[in-house]
Amino acid sequence: MSKLIKIGLPSKGRLKDASLKVFKKKNLSIKDVKRNYLSEIKNFSLNEVVFSHAREIVERLADNSLDIGISGYDLLKESLPGIQKNIQVFSRLNFGFADLIVAVPNAWIDVQTIADLEEISFEFKDKNIGKLRVATKYPNLTNDFLLSKGLTQYKIINSLGSTEIYPFTDQSEIITDITSSGATLKANNLRVLKDGNILKSSACILVSKKSLKDKNKKNLVLSLLKKLN
Amino acid sequence: MKSKKYSEALLNLFKKKGFKVKEFENIIESKIIIERSGEIFKKSLLSFEDDNGKNFSLRPDLTISACLDYIKNVKRGIHKYAYFDQAYRRTFGKESLVRNQLGCEIIGSANLQSNIDIINLIDQSLEKVIKYKTTIKINDINIFYSLVDSLKLPSRWRLRLKRHFWRHDYFKELITRLESNSDLQKNVFELDKKSYVKMKKLKQNEKIAGRKINEILNRFEKKIKEPRSNINGARVAQIIGDFLKIKCPFKNAKNELKKFEIKNNINLKLKQFDIFNIKLKNNDTIFSTEIGRSVEYYTGLVFEIYKKSKNLNLASGGRYDNLMQTLGAKSKVAAIGGAINYDNILKL
Repeated sequence: MSKLIKIGLPSKGRLKDASLKVFKKKNLSIKDVKRNYLSEIKNFSLNEVVFSHAREIVERLADNSLDIGISGYDLLKESLPGIQKNIQVFSRLNFGFADLIVAVPNAWIDVQTIADLEEISFEFKDKNIGKLRVATKYPNLTNDFLLSKGLTQYKIINSLGSTEIYPFTDQSEIITDITSSGATLKANNLRVLKDGNILKSSACILVSKKSLKDKNKKNLVLSLLKKLN
Repeated sequence: MKSKKYSEALLNLFKKKGFKVKEFENIIESKIIIERSGEIFKKSLLSFEDDNGKNFSLRPDLTISACLDYIKNVKRGIHKYAYFDQAYRRTFGKESLVRNQLGCEIIGSANLQSNIDIINLIDQSLEKVIKYKTTIKINDINIFYSLVDSLKLPSRWRLRLKRHFWRHDYFKELITRLESNSDLQKNVFELDKKSYVKMKKLKQNEKIAGRKINEILNRFEKKIKEPRSNINGARVAQIIGDFLKIKCPFKNAKNELKKFEIKNNINLKLKQFDIFNIKLKNNDTIFSTEIGRSVEYYTGLVFEIYKKSKNLNLASGGRYDNLMQTLGAKSKVAAIGGAINYDNILKL
């Protein structure tokens, strides 16, 4: 069995920079060569750093091809229960703050709460104009939230980006999306519902539960986590 | 072996009463359920896509399968279904993906006799096959709707309470909100009033995200006219709470409800409910306003059957007069059915 531990870090953007800083701050030096997706912590035992998409880090931790990783709490909670049960949140980090929210067009002045949305969804149903469409990159969290708030008559539209324009291009009526300052929502004439906060997210250090049970890796994993704490 | 013995015996008794045993298709087109029922059903479907992008699901429930069969093959008149087969649902806990379902349905009949027939058939068959005494609990969920209509509430709250009567946790949340009196955000509301004036000047038929401006403004006006602050939420919540505690021998049900009406100075319009005319073979029948709150599609009479000594649920069912249309029938087709709790029977 390999004693090498694998650490997954976001491969681009602010998440990558902030993740590297977390290690640097603890005097763990990671060499970052542009366009190279593999590296290592030089001053730590046998290890390999893999730069991946933040969403992929969650999946690789679940199947234990990574041992430790940094990713978004939102991405972890969006993953299927079978994935989440294999991952432990070690700590929430002080960056990557964002809220997953429900937003409606500003002009829907009669809609302030999810309960209002529920009535609108029944209006859509009763008029036989189809289901109220909700565009999102987070279908699982959105479903859990809306159903828990009593909204049942809607249809999820999976979006891969620019979700904010969906209500104004006839691709959906409302959206759920991640926002940090709210500026993009405002610029796109959308507003957040009073009770429309689905999840408060930030970056976090995640650990594969299998690694914590693996005799060959456990001590190394715990030792790195201790340094990062 | 015990399983086979019980299922065969029960199906034979159903057949003797004119029910036709039917095997349903394993796979159904997902859009039949999703397009009409929304994401709540989708969540429980075990679905897959074929090469043409069409989405299919394993049958999630045999009542739905019976309805779809009626729509496709029977189309009109009364049809009596009986079945014993497997349904498949996504599970979120330790429950099995595969559920054995044994049940019977009368589709196409709205009369009181069908209600009596279904309850008597399931109850008497159970007593005969498992050889234990049973207790029946019955209710008509329209009595709750009548209560809601009699309360001083904005119409949007009436709809909410009726729609979510079957969802215990969310219903509790609604009652708490009702008690605390808040569903308008005052500061946002003032800003929206300004938008309202501006929007009044726009073309009223223009659409914003699928809704006409006049629809938005009309609903906004209605909200202003029906403010929540004018009602006594705590009092209403108390009445609903008391109503849901009513439980008595069935023969006393009408009297108990009348006492409740007098105490709370409300009118439940009890004359319109034929549940009080039901005469069942089993005298051990209880009326309980809490019964029938687990399935979304029930529309009237609901029942549950228990093993008398252990209070173990053996069967449940009810009237579902709107489901057929939800699943694609062109006009309203009344129906009633019931399912045996097969796992509990095997525990006996």
